[in-house]
Amino acid sequence: MMSTFFTLALDGISNSALYFLMAAGLTLIFGLLRVINFAHGGLFVWGAYAATFLYSAMHQFWLSLCAGILIGGLLGWLLERGLLTAVYGDGNQQLLLTMGVLILLSELIEIPFGRDPVLATVPPILHHSWVIDHVTIVAYSLFTIGMGACIFGILVYLLQKTRVGLIIRAGVNNQSLVEARGIPIRRLFTIVFLLGAALAGFAGALAGPYYGSITPSMGMDMQLNAFITVVLGGLGSLSGSLIGSLLIGLTTSFVSYYTPSFAVLANVLLMTLVLLVRPQGLFGEGEIV
Amino acid sequence: MRPVRLAWLLLSTLFLMGFPFVFGSGGGTSLLEQIFVFGAFAMSYDLLIGYTGIVSFGHAMFFGTGAYAVAIVLSKTGGSTVGLLLGFLIAMTISILLSLVVAFLSLRVRHTYFAMVTLAVGQVFFVLAGSQPLRPLTNANDGISVLTPVWLNSNLAVYYFILIFLAIVTLFLHRFIHSPFGEVLRALRENESRAKALGYRIFHYKTLAFLLSGLIATLAGGMYVVVESFVSTSVYDIGSVSLQVVLMTIVGGVGTLYGGLIGAGIILWLQNELANLAGSYPVFNHAEIAFGVLYVLVVRFLPNGILGTLKGRKGRWRWTSQTFKKSQT
Repeated sequence: MMSTFFTLALDGISNSALYFLMAAGLTLIFGLLRVINFAHGGLFVWGAYAATFLYSAMHQFWLSLCAGILIGGLLGWLLERGLLTAVYGDGNQQLLLTMGVLILLSELIEIPFGRDPVLATVPPILHHSWVIDHVTIVAYSLFTIGMGACIFGILVYLLQKTRVGLIIRAGVNNQSLVEARGIPIRRLFTIVFLLGAALAGFAGALAGPYYGSITPSMGMDMQLNAFITVVLGGLGSLSGSLIGSLLIGLTTSFVSYYTPSFAVLANVLLMTLVLLVRPQGLFGEGEIV
Repeated sequence: MRPVRLAWLLLSTLFLMGFPFVFGSGGGTSLLEQIFVFGAFAMSYDLLIGYTGIVSFGHAMFFGTGAYAVAIVLSKTGGSTVGLLLGFLIAMTISILLSLVVAFLSLRVRHTYFAMVTLAVGQVFFVLAGSQPLRPLTNANDGISVLTPVWLNSNLAVYYFILIFLAIVTLFLHRFIHSPFGEVLRALRENESRAKALGYRIFHYKTLAFLLSGLIATLAGGMYVVVESFVSTSVYDIGSVSLQVVLMTIVGGVGTLYGGLIGAGIILWLQNELANLAGSYPVFNHAEIAFGVLYVLVVRFLPNGILGTLKGRKGRWRWTSQTFKKSQT
């Protein structure tokens, strides 16, 4: 019984790492740009396919992870420069437009790779698992958790200790004041969007071997969980994303063990409970109508 | 101006009334039935996105609930008229409760939450409808085939039933958006903080708009069952229902009401044609991508849709021609 618990908990935390990568990007982008990126799942899927394709072709794991980051960042840059700049300030247009990009990205990826699952293999270095006291420890899960923790550390460092981070935090608080200081805020928008998109691509690259196979529709599923995470944790808060992703990751893993299809239901119920008490999410700003 | 509009209305009514007699009850008529159902659905969505200014990505939760409630009750009662009525009543009750819960969860904070929460809740219904534990009720992934009441067994009867439904919905929505309540909705769409400052309770108005929109979408879902005699988890699908209705509404024109009907017509007709083409040419197997491209292009370059753009152009023409006349006299 205890061993099942620990196995599931470990599994849940590695789920959380992936959700965190998605949620952190969403939250950063929302905090500064006030845009909810509904195309985030599309960036995730493209990252997953790019990494999987590259790994099966060249068998260079680190290179494939970089490919995921690159493709996510590149798409994010194109999306921000090409489409989003035209609709800043119009919330509904942003929602509709980014959702359209998600549809487009998910459909485009079907053309070369098809709708069926594509196998994603774990690299030999990480293809281990140990059983200690009936608790199964999978090396790749540990790796995923490590990557998530690393990214969290880097983001905290970036936001708290660097000049760019200082400007981002200032921009979140008061955009016009930052602009008045002569800082080109639009460039900052692009940088933050690119960073968030790259994180989504990275999450995709990690998720391929983690789940064992990838499909075009996994972007929407991942995005749903990421949305539940940020709504629960509070939009715009990095620590909210961390706590939210841990809650959602663990719930997913435990509920999936008993009834796989009810994981989404459990997550939405959890979100409902939090929203009943705190409509702005656990760490959200109190912008209540 | 008025007589022209009246003539148009009469002509289109006559055309729709006579369509099955002229063209028979074949493919064209069944396509029209679908267009009526989705047209009503899209118009209900326009009440939300166009007149209240809030975006939902989970409107299928109502459409699907209407479809499933009517289908389940009809199949349990063996396709009686009482079953049909009861199904619609149950569907409407669930719809009201559902919209109140979702509104309470997500409309109290900034409305961007609303888009995310509706997307998530919509997906929950999709999963529930296909799940094994609920098989006795929903028949899981196999879907439910239903018997409709005897008086709805002919194609003509179904056609006119749906046409009357569409007419009532259109009339109701038209009256509603021109009522004082509709005026307030538009006021808070244009300037929420001003509407709030004037003392309107925004949350109440938004909730009621969502409730009504959901109710009509639920009825449209029930009508879908009457047309198709079959329901499956696809009525809850994000891509083929929730986002489809967004596409229909924005193609036709957000905030124009009738735009939804036009959009539904265009999208369903296109879908039909593309499916036919895919049958004979495999190149068109990935034709769905056309809808993704269309979606992005419309949002980016034609944000007012077809009807909105036409209206804007007409308004500008009238304005310039009038000022021209004035300057001449």
